[in-house]
Amino acid sequence: MNATEIRFSGSGGQGLITAARILASALVDQGRNVAQSQSYEPVSRGGLSRADLIVSDGEAAYPLVSRLDFLLILDQAAAHASDDLLGEGALVLVDSALVRDPPQGAFRCLALPFTETAQGLGNKRAANLVALGALVGLAEICPFDALERATAARMPARLERLNTEALAAGRAMADAQVVPAGG
Amino acid sequence: MTSRRLNLQGNQACALGAIAAGCRFFAGYPITPSSEIAETMSGELPRVGGTFVQMEDEIASMAAVIGASMGGVKAMTATSGPGFSLKQENLGYACGAEIPCVVVNVMRGGPSTGMPTRPAQGDIMQARWGTHGDHTVIVLAPASVAETYSETIRAFDLSERLRVPVVLLLDEVIGHLVETVELGTTATAATRKFATGPREEFQPYAVTEDLVPPMPRPGDGYRAHTTGLTHAPDGFPTQKPDEVRAAIGRLSDKLVLHRELIESWHSQAADDAEVMIVAIGITARAAQKAVDDLRAQGVRAGLFRPVTLWPFPEQALRDVVAKSGARAVIVPEMNQGQLVLEVERLLGRDLKVTGLNRFDGEPLSPADIAARVREELAP
Repeated sequence: MNATEIRFSGSGGQGLITAARILASALVDQGRNVAQSQSYEPVSRGGLSRADLIVSDGEAAYPLVSRLDFLLILDQAAAHASDDLLGEGALVLVDSALVRDPPQGAFRCLALPFTETAQGLGNKRAANLVALGALVGLAEICPFDALERATAARMPARLERLNTEALAAGRAMADAQVVPAGG
Repeated sequence: MTSRRLNLQGNQACALGAIAAGCRFFAGYPITPSSEIAETMSGELPRVGGTFVQMEDEIASMAAVIGASMGGVKAMTATSGPGFSLKQENLGYACGAEIPCVVVNVMRGGPSTGMPTRPAQGDIMQARWGTHGDHTVIVLAPASVAETYSETIRAFDLSERLRVPVVLLLDEVIGHLVETVELGTTATAATRKFATGPREEFQPYAVTEDLVPPMPRPGDGYRAHTTGLTHAPDGFPTQKPDEVRAAIGRLSDKLVLHRELIESWHSQAADDAEVMIVAIGITARAAQKAVDDLRAQGVRAGLFRPVTLWPFPEQALRDVVAKSGARAVIVPEMNQGQLVLEVERLLGRDLKVTGLNRFDGEPLSPADIAARVREELAP
């Protein structure tokens, strides 16, 4: 079965579960099936936190990840927590300011300024959506307008402009990374 | 209700299943990893004319649920391990007085406060034997979000039809897991058997053919006495040995009589399995994947998954294993060995039954289980 495994990792309070739920919601609207799980510490801020998403067209027999296709790391706390799940062909996106020591191996790893960009938009807490925009741009698992609709549906209306800008900034980062076909 | 396709969390599915089953009263005290059940019920119950109460603690929550049920309303509470311990005394009252109710326990790491956000399956025996006395209780253990929805409905149906508390036992992974589900047309929810007929002949604990005494509906005028003391059919306390034997015996006989209605289980690739796995909850999901992977490599592994955990579907397990000709049984679970005790009791005389245990706050993986099966089959 053709399943894609995605992990959002970092520290508690970075909106990792929120980002995963938004993507899950966009994907189900596209007719895909998702299984979304998480692990976090019993604190409201800080501590190792992660949200996982398995995207498939049938029912996922096992709803927890075993080999990641896409890994997002937003904090040094999570830098190496997922090393065992990374294999050849994976794409790893790390926050260039907050992750000092990204994973290394036979996979592509990009350091991108998610938090810095969110700060520039006026709220560093939107880093999760900048990263989500970049992830969707690079992973091509979901149409961008579906992602925007799912974000608007799940997030407070007062944050709609910030969130739209954050997603777009992330997408621009992805566009800058994607090598055009034949290029 | 038309079919809806949506992403739903296990805990939310439990709450929506309860609403669909006709639950109209929830009393609880929030605790990770069950809090979303209370949260969802607090939003949904007022919409359908139900009542949500956040109580001062778990003991009071259980008492309120019993009171609501005696008032004729389908009632539920939800908690995790530490809260489940607190509910046990009143759960015993509900067992003895035969008060229908549904108690959800979303298991986390323990003992005590343990690991609030980590999964475990350490309450398998507490769910069966947590309360005092020689009691009966039904425990259902779903393994997916969709099954959490349907088993919550079944929990209410069994509870109402059989006048017995039903425990819905989830683990943290299933409770917090979000899966895409299709909620179909809701099956008709079972209704409680209320007393009819001449009031002067009514006995609140009458011995009927189905062993389920009709309950008096408040306001219908039937005189009833309800007590935690062992009682005769008239509801008043007794310590006469023959009356006690009949009263306590009926509680067990009732579940035996309705065993077919209560028991639910699934098997996968069991027919020719050399090694049979027995598992529940998220561990059963890992086992499903392990069986798929092993079968793809020509290894004859099979799975028996009890959905009704207690009373354990014992004949079904014996039959499935006998038919398979399996020579070994592995019981993976997120504790130091509880479910394995029941499987050993049922199969241990003839077969090698061993556990596979993980109790560090992480779920057993398909690879862990597959490796254990291979080890078993190694020459």
